Amino acid sequence: MLKTYTLLLSLLLLCALSLTAQEKYTVSGSVRDAESGETLIGATVAVPAADIGTITNEYGFYSFTLEGGDSLQITYSYVGFQTQVRKILLDRDITLDVELGSGVQLDEVVVKANSFEEQLNSTEMSVEVITTKEARLIPVLLGESDILKTIQLKPGIPSGSEGTTGLFVRGGGSDQNLIVLDEAVVYNANHLFGFFSTFNTDAVKDLKIYKGGFPAQYGGRLSSVIDVKLKEGNNKKLAGSGGIGLIASRLTLEGPIEKEKSSFIVSGRRTYVDLLTRGINQSNADNEDYDPIPNYYFYDLNTKINFQFGEKDRLFLSGYFGRDVFGFDGDFFDFDFDWGNATGTARWNHVFNPKLFANTTFTYSDYQYNIKNRLTGFNFEVGSDIRDANFKSDFYLALNNAHTFRFGASVTRHQFSVGRLQAGTDDGLINFSAGQEFAALEGGAYFSDDWSVNDRLKINYGLRFSAFNNEGQTYAGLEPRFASRYILNERLSLKASYARMYQYLHLVASSGITLPTDIWYPSTQRVRPQRSDQVAAGFSYLLGTRYFLTVEGYYKDQQNVLEFVDGAQLFANDDLEQEFAIGKGRGYGVELSIEKKEGKLTGWIGYTLAFVERGEFNLLDDSKRFAQQGYFSPVFDRRHDLSVVAMYELSRRFSFTATFVYGSGDLRWLPTGRFSFGDVQGSDFEPVVPDYEERNNYRLPPYHRLDLGAVWRFFPRWGESDLTLSVINAYDRRNTFFIYLEPEFAEISDGGTAVSFPERIAAKQVSLFPILPSITWNFKF
Amino acid sequence: MKWLSISITTLLLGALCWSCNLEKEIEIDLPDYDSKTVVECYLEPGRPFQLLLTRSTSYFSPFDTATSDLLQNLLVNGAKVSINHAGVRYDLNNQLVIDQQAQKLYNYYNENLVPQDYTEDFELAIELQDGSTITGTTRLLPVVPIDSVVVEFEENDTLARVLTYFTDIPDQTNYYRRMLHHNSLDSLAMQDFTLDDRVVEDVIVFGTGYEFAVGDTVFNTLFHIDRTYFDFLESVDNAVLSNGNPFGQPSPINSKLEGTARSVGIFTGLSYTREITVLE
Repeated sequence: MLKTYTLLLSLLLLCALSLTAQEKYTVSGSVRDAESGETLIGATVAVPAADIGTITNEYGFYSFTLEGGDSLQITYSYVGFQTQVRKILLDRDITLDVELGSGVQLDEVVVKANSFEEQLNSTEMSVEVITTKEARLIPVLLGESDILKTIQLKPGIPSGSEGTTGLFVRGGGSDQNLIVLDEAVVYNANHLFGFFSTFNTDAVKDLKIYKGGFPAQYGGRLSSVIDVKLKEGNNKKLAGSGGIGLIASRLTLEGPIEKEKSSFIVSGRRTYVDLLTRGINQSNADNEDYDPIPNYYFYDLNTKINFQFGEKDRLFLSGYFGRDVFGFDGDFFDFDFDWGNATGTARWNHVFNPKLFANTTFTYSDYQYNIKNRLTGFNFEVGSDIRDANFKSDFYLALNNAHTFRFGASVTRHQFSVGRLQAGTDDGLINFSAGQEFAALEGGAYFSDDWSVNDRLKINYGLRFSAFNNEGQTYAGLEPRFASRYILNERLSLKASYARMYQYLHLVASSGITLPTDIWYPSTQRVRPQRSDQVAAGFSYLLGTRYFLTVEGYYKDQQNVLEFVDGAQLFANDDLEQEFAIGKGRGYGVELSIEKKEGKLTGWIGYTLAFVERGEFNLLDDSKRFAQQGYFSPVFDRRHDLSVVAMYELSRRFSFTATFVYGSGDLRWLPTGRFSFGDVQGSDFEPVVPDYEERNNYRLPPYHRLDLGAVWRFFPRWGESDLTLSVINAYDRRNTFFIYLEPEFAEISDGGTAVSFPERIAAKQVSLFPILPSITWNFKF
Repeated sequence: MKWLSISITTLLLGALCWSCNLEKEIEIDLPDYDSKTVVECYLEPGRPFQLLLTRSTSYFSPFDTATSDLLQNLLVNGAKVSINHAGVRYDLNNQLVIDQQAQKLYNYYNENLVPQDYTEDFELAIELQDGSTITGTTRLLPVVPIDSVVVEFEENDTLARVLTYFTDIPDQTNYYRRMLHHNSLDSLAMQDFTLDDRVVEDVIVFGTGYEFAVGDTVFNTLFHIDRTYFDFLESVDNAVLSNGNPFGQPSPINSKLEGTARSVGIFTGLSYTREITVLE
């Protein structure tokens, strides 16, 4: 394997070197924000006279090659920035780093057309991008912006139940999303049981999600890749930003370590409702009838520094640490529950020559949860964690204007501690423990080529090889990737893609809601890796100069998906996989979006029609049971999903947003029958035992909600500030968070003795949010 | 910063006010449900053969409040019920009996006593009035004794905890049900749970909190149960606990009864030891 990889690398290097000897020259460099020095990802670099265009890669690097001798006019553009034109004489290889200024756009139409043109021309499909600017304008809950929740407003990415960040992309489960923060895997991207994501918008540069047509450099999850890049930090001047909201405050500082050479960014936030609840608890400490309110808070810290060594090398060090802490202290009962992620990334960018760029990364990820209970001398601790150490190297070779190669390899060591349980008394009389430990190795190598076959046809083809070893069992597989674009005319392009993905890790989730206690479990001898094959086809159409229409249809087949057996025992289980059933899944649907990025009114409309099914489940332990026969719809089978997002910039001082979402209700598994259970001596008669039959047999009422927001900006001498007002659920829709079924009892008197007996069963719907107005003060200097 | 905390508190309280009335009753239209026959039969050595045959109903169907209607609609009568063991057939008559010791109701009864035989199966056969059948098989398990019950008073306090020790049968997978009652078996059990022996050592200890005083009586019961009964009890617990709970894991009832009738229930032997301790 290593030999093949080395050979391939050598051939490509030779190829690159031989081409530089011809009468062609290469222009390469980076595109940055003039104000902060941040690299701009996806900026368009074009030479109109030669009909050549490219975009900066995820590291802000670009490269193209032309025959030398002539004077060239190169256009650099990026949404929201002033377009810049540079003239050069191409008589040698040239490195040209360009900085684009933001602010008033000189020619918005040109900038916008370029942005849509790039979407039209790219082989990429099934991709959505959210910028922090968009995320800031769209408040999601209690005035807090959240980039991961904002992406859920794009078509094809329905979330879990109300208020949660679990993603179910194109019929995939919530475990099938690869979430990477500066290339380090984030295993649980949730705070507060999913109401907020772990990503602090102030520290994030942008977020990109792939729903299909996955590039070959990505692997390890079936349904989506969510790539989050942290800002690098302002390398020109010390700057700061922050905000004070109803439930949380945040502060970000960034600045140069050495001007225009190195920079840092530190960003933190913390909720403070616990300060209030602690005060209330303390003031009621003498009240015997008072039930203390549990304390809860979360915090997270992002930091990043980068150094530039000469013109060819840059080093980035970044880290994330976040924790949710939930606690209760009582006279007889203490309860502490904390969970969170830690990630670290060390990344080295090196430009070998104007055509060849390399990115070498070491990442560390850790996710863990711990629950500690103490009840009058008895202690109970349960927890799980997963730790990854990853090393990878990626190469980007702009061989010529027809071929751009990417290739690389990665290796990850996973360490799992699954279902760790320790329980016993203080004196050690009672003591028992459970849990499983795994150490697994995962590797991958890939190659891809973005090939411009001719002016109309462009193909991105690639192959990924992945392998996984755990407990002596090795799995390996080839993952072909293919994406193509055919331009019918300057307004219309057709696209199609195919991708096979393998997933070697599985999330053991006990309900439709993403919980911190969900456990990551590796593939083993009996638990085979999940596999998906997805085909997608669609078209992009430029409507006038302002609107961009995208329509995509997809079909995804999944193998070896996990469900639990009936009545699975998830805690205190030394052999968790006997509780698994392995089956198949399929999802298909159509996604439509119309987008407008330019002018005072911007936004998008997204609609998804989707179908999801799972079935043919087989047991790993024959003594277990999976009663459901045939295919069934999982809880997240949402037939219709509509989102309308409008952002209106009235003036420099005022802007307004409105977001409307509508979705078919999720499914729930409700009992269709009931019986009474007498039981044996010493136990109570149970008058209502629910009889569950077909899975997910009830669809909740449709979900819809309108959120409104307004931003009022101020421009004091020291910088900028704004008041962000938001009204979540503006027309006070009572959407279903969950329903529960409650027997209601009546007292029946029989000869003087009153007996309690069920009278009826009531179905109760609980909503999470009424209309929620909020205000946040944000500042920037 | 005082203004800030006042503002935050005001806004939070405002938000809490808005949060009122977030629960409401709704109408739910569930798929049609075909009634099942529900069987409960526990074979206790030295006690008569007793069986309860009832029917399930659709989830939201109204409850009968009049005792006569309740029994008529609940009980399944007119079935032919027999239990075979070691070549002997025990026919259970369709008659309403109240087990005064267990405080339970049964509608099929045979006064013969269940033999204490751990080597041969008991086979249940039920033929309903419509000709459909329900069958089941079980075998008595040996009793697992409680080794000791230890009462420990907390230092400088009048309250005690109770530790119950027993020894797991080695070299086989065992399932247990543990009950603990305070002062009376008719009271609500303080502890009632099932466990298997996967995560415990040979000697198993059940504990309580410091919550018993001198003069209290503690009833410790240890059932040695089979896998079928264990699965059934677990599934009943799961079904009851997940009744619409968003964090729950719904589960169909795990019943091993067979036959042509739609049925659910349990046919099992009952082997247990009970220690009664008066705190001194």
